[in-house]
Amino acid sequence: MLKSPRIRWAGALLGAAMLTLTGCSSGEGGGSADKVTLTYRLWDDQQKAGYEKVMAAFEKANPGIDVTIELLPYDQYWTKLTADVVAGTAPDVFWMTPTQFPEFVTKGVLSPVQADTAKYHQTVVGSFTYEGKLYGVPKDWGIVGLLYNKDLFEQAGVEMPDKLTWTADGTGTLLDTARKLTVDEGGKHPGEAGFDPAKVKTYGFASWNHYQTQWMNWVSSNGGKLVDKPFGKYVFNDAASVQALQFGVDLVNKHHVAPPATQTNPPTGKITDMFKAGRIAMFPANNALLPFVAPEATFEVGVALMPEGPAGRSVNLNGLAEAVYAKSEHPQEAMKLAAYLGTQEPQKLMADGGYAFPALNGLSQGYVDYWKAKKVDVSPFVDEAEGSTFPLPITTGFTGFETKLNQIFNEMYLGKLSPQEAADQAVAAGNATLE
Amino acid sequence: MVIVLVLSLFDWELLSAPEFVGLDNYHRLAADGETWHSLGVTAGYVLLCIPLQTVLALALAMLLNQRMKGVRLYRSLFVIPWMATPIVLALIWNWIFDPRDGALNSALALVGITGPDWLSDPDWALPAVALVSVWQHTGYNMLFFLAGLQGIPQELRDAAATDGATAAQRFWRVTLPLLNPTMFFVTVTNLIGAFQVFDTVYAMTDGGPSGSTEVLNFRIFQTAFKEFDFGYAATLSALLFAVILLVTLAQVRFFGKRTTYDLS
Repeated sequence: MLKSPRIRWAGALLGAAMLTLTGCSSGEGGGSADKVTLTYRLWDDQQKAGYEKVMAAFEKANPGIDVTIELLPYDQYWTKLTADVVAGTAPDVFWMTPTQFPEFVTKGVLSPVQADTAKYHQTVVGSFTYEGKLYGVPKDWGIVGLLYNKDLFEQAGVEMPDKLTWTADGTGTLLDTARKLTVDEGGKHPGEAGFDPAKVKTYGFASWNHYQTQWMNWVSSNGGKLVDKPFGKYVFNDAASVQALQFGVDLVNKHHVAPPATQTNPPTGKITDMFKAGRIAMFPANNALLPFVAPEATFEVGVALMPEGPAGRSVNLNGLAEAVYAKSEHPQEAMKLAAYLGTQEPQKLMADGGYAFPALNGLSQGYVDYWKAKKVDVSPFVDEAEGSTFPLPITTGFTGFETKLNQIFNEMYLGKLSPQEAADQAVAAGNATLE
Repeated sequence: MVIVLVLSLFDWELLSAPEFVGLDNYHRLAADGETWHSLGVTAGYVLLCIPLQTVLALALAMLLNQRMKGVRLYRSLFVIPWMATPIVLALIWNWIFDPRDGALNSALALVGITGPDWLSDPDWALPAVALVSVWQHTGYNMLFFLAGLQGIPQELRDAAATDGATAAQRFWRVTLPLLNPTMFFVTVTNLIGAFQVFDTVYAMTDGGPSGSTEVLNFRIFQTAFKEFDFGYAATLSALLFAVILLVTLAQVRFFGKRTTYDLS
């Protein structure tokens, strides 16, 4: 260690001289040439405001580095990123999702990063690990919980049970509660004589073709599996998975407690609007949807734990990571920025601003407090995250498969394909896209 | 274009170095049922759009080529849809096509018809998407026909009338043949546009239901940016180019013999 102050000074001077030298040797332009500019790309315009503060703090601590934030809408984000990667001009640090990750990492686009993985949520760490190495600093996570319309519960005189449960044969508190909250124009509930499923005024539950917040959760909480292993094959056509898919479809076509697929199938489905309009009582959604629902809702929004299936509760937890471009012109600075984004200071800022649950453990309370001030108790999301969670399928080809998968499952929710047929077709199509 | 043709001879997946594979992509194309299906869908889309929007545009132009009050306002109104962004248009039309709450089925219900589930019915989804395109482009095409009509000297029609030609005869024998340059321009540009349709499909149906709206350009996007298969996407682009080239050449031949540009 440097004990004498004089030696310390000498070391500092030497370091400064070396920095200046390397600065000169890269020698482009005039006096500010030794200043490195990094590009940071994201898609969320609400979070951009938070990251402007984060980047200002980073620039202050690292006077030699400037960060430019680039915002692209989600749809364009991936097309542009792909095009930039092909051209060799991708941003230095950018957001990465679990479903896009396998394509990008296997093609060598991402740099491995150093991070103390024990400090982050393990599902997020697992989502960005490839061949034993971490390729992205864990940023945040979103989790599926049950949003519900407290006003509709009150009007119907129904209490939200302490625990919602479901089984494939139709018993459990979920279906019971959903029935009580489903009312047709004549005031009748499903199962009563004279109930008209074509003229339902409010639905008890939202069951629709959405993999992240719907059927993947039923599959997982029934003991089924999506893929056999990370970077493996699709297997969600086994008996347990098919039974779970049947449950989701039955809520719509057999029990009539959820709107018909003609109104909810992607890409044109309007289920979020229906919930916002007060026509649906219970709506499984990712917490990231809250800012788009809570301020516009004309009713009090409650959050509950997702229903427990025969194999317990298991919900999707979707993490994001700060990825570093493998061909960045400033690899050290880019790495420094990514590492900084994984530390306490920026992650706390994003949590306290109510943007997302930080990936770094122990900071959730800031997010909870933010929403408490807006009169929404989001603590069930935190409880869920401490229990059993699963990531979206981590395997190559998912992005190419997604459109086909949604098309096939649209048919299933319409009742045109049986869950077994749909799952068989989807698994065959998905496994055909694997390299 | 040359780059696309060269690329189509390579196997290129994002960062991996492009590997020359000769005509492999073209062999794959020959056996690729999905692509031929997309080509069929594209042809169906073109056949639904072009005749309807051309006839409507011409009829509208004839109507608005008369002296009447507020004609300028009407002319402008009909062009407005053309100026809107396809994605926004698609959002609005998604509401109109909603099977239960949508404007279209509500209107049909008033006259006792139960409308179909427009966008989730494989038989109706493509006509529905085509209808949006017709609605969007008719007014714009009307402008060209209007300009064309105003370029036809009135004496020619007057002379025909003096010779005893009926209104129908004047239209078929005088107006329409003299509109050939406009007709040529409108159909060629519209056909090229229709073959390349993407935005409305992307926002309204995402290729579904059951691939019934998966036009060729949608498949190219899917192959390049979702499956990251750039070499094969280039092959598909070459196919689309070839189809458009053939159709355009056919049009040039058809109109070439029948068109006179000199009205003096």
